[in-house]
Amino acid sequence: MTTLATPDLATVTSGISIRHLDKSYGNLLVLDNLNLDLAPDRVYGLLGPNGAGKTTLMSVICNHTFRSAGTVLLDGDDPAENAPVLARTCFIREDQAYNDVFSVGAILGIMPGFYPSWDEDLCRRLVGRFRLPLRRSARKLSRGQKSALAIVISLASRAPYTFLDEPYLGLDPTAREIFYEELMADIAEHPRTIVMSTHLIDEAADLMEEVVVLHQGTVVLHADVDEARSSAFVARGRVDDVRAFAAGREIVAEHALGQILSVTIRGSVGPEEEDLAASRHVSLEPASLQDLIAALGIHDLTTALTQENR
Amino acid sequence: MAFASDRPIFLELADAIAADVLAGLYPEESQVPSTTELAVHYRINPATAGKALNRLVDAGVIYKKRGVGMFVATGAPEAMRRQRRAEFHAEFVVPLLSEAHRLGLTTTDVVSLITKDPS
Repeated sequence: MTTLATPDLATVTSGISIRHLDKSYGNLLVLDNLNLDLAPDRVYGLLGPNGAGKTTLMSVICNHTFRSAGTVLLDGDDPAENAPVLARTCFIREDQAYNDVFSVGAILGIMPGFYPSWDEDLCRRLVGRFRLPLRRSARKLSRGQKSALAIVISLASRAPYTFLDEPYLGLDPTAREIFYEELMADIAEHPRTIVMSTHLIDEAADLMEEVVVLHQGTVVLHADVDEARSSAFVARGRVDDVRAFAAGREIVAEHALGQILSVTIRGSVGPEEEDLAASRHVSLEPASLQDLIAALGIHDLTTALTQENR
Repeated sequence: MAFASDRPIFLELADAIAADVLAGLYPEESQVPSTTELAVHYRINPATAGKALNRLVDAGVIYKKRGVGMFVATGAPEAMRRQRRAEFHAEFVVPLLSEAHRLGLTTTDVVSLITKDPS
């Protein structure tokens, strides 16, 4: 597994540093001795299957939920019960509840009180682009409109630490494009730390600088996105040729279609691999980030876990 | 065996801009798109776009005017043309002949295909 260097906490004064973080709900341990360092002003993809602890992690960092044990530092300070530090965070939950009597306009109207860096012009532009009905009550918003509202608040907050939890549930492809475009434009001009959980891994991969993969409450991979991408590839060809090519290599997944075999192999492609593949008429393709996540064995484990729970 | 799509996006983007410089889309001393423009246009992380531009700065294709932006260096298209001519044999002729030989065509066959009247 890829692990980045773990600096001494006493020396960390910027970014997010987490050590030995536990969070349990009753007997259920959701975060299990989690360690993570996030440098400031980067975009992180927080990935992993449902139940891995993504929402809980974001929630604990922003003090929406109390932790059970461990240390969380944001720019060197503990965010727990610390208003000045928490004012630097923005976290809209995927299932964020708003007071039902408030209209979208009223909700947006009180936001500048929560976020010192709030940008009203950006808010207005986003409301227009997402066509959010300002007079409608939050209760009557569709799933996509709720997501759009969360995106508007998250981006307009300009919070130095912004957490996006499944930001585009229910958004159509056009609205997702607007989101990507606005996010990239805004962080280019106003760099800040964005932590975004998503299942649309390949679609969102180009937005990210680093990926953090959670599984069963711990970090199983934290790597630069290019590094993560080049850590596996797919070899495809006739069964015998692919078997010969793959001999002695770490196969993490395979799919057969008649006489054609396609295997995902851990490692990178060099001249030796290219020559061998050419001589065997095996084609080599990059594995997608989604393939890699699957290649980490996470989905197999998840399946096993789900069956266990039934 | 080409494996272009395995390359990091910043390399792909740097090559695409270099190709546009070579094709004259960005003439010498003209401005190339900024990090922000590239990030928004391709919906990629600004850091990725910045890495692509830095790579071209390092290669001498573009240069930075502080507070203004990135511009195509004078002589950059000619320098790139010279470099690509030097790489032409390995990049294009060798793969062409290896595919031809796989198909049972001799080098002489390929030469006659090249010199054949295109009509």
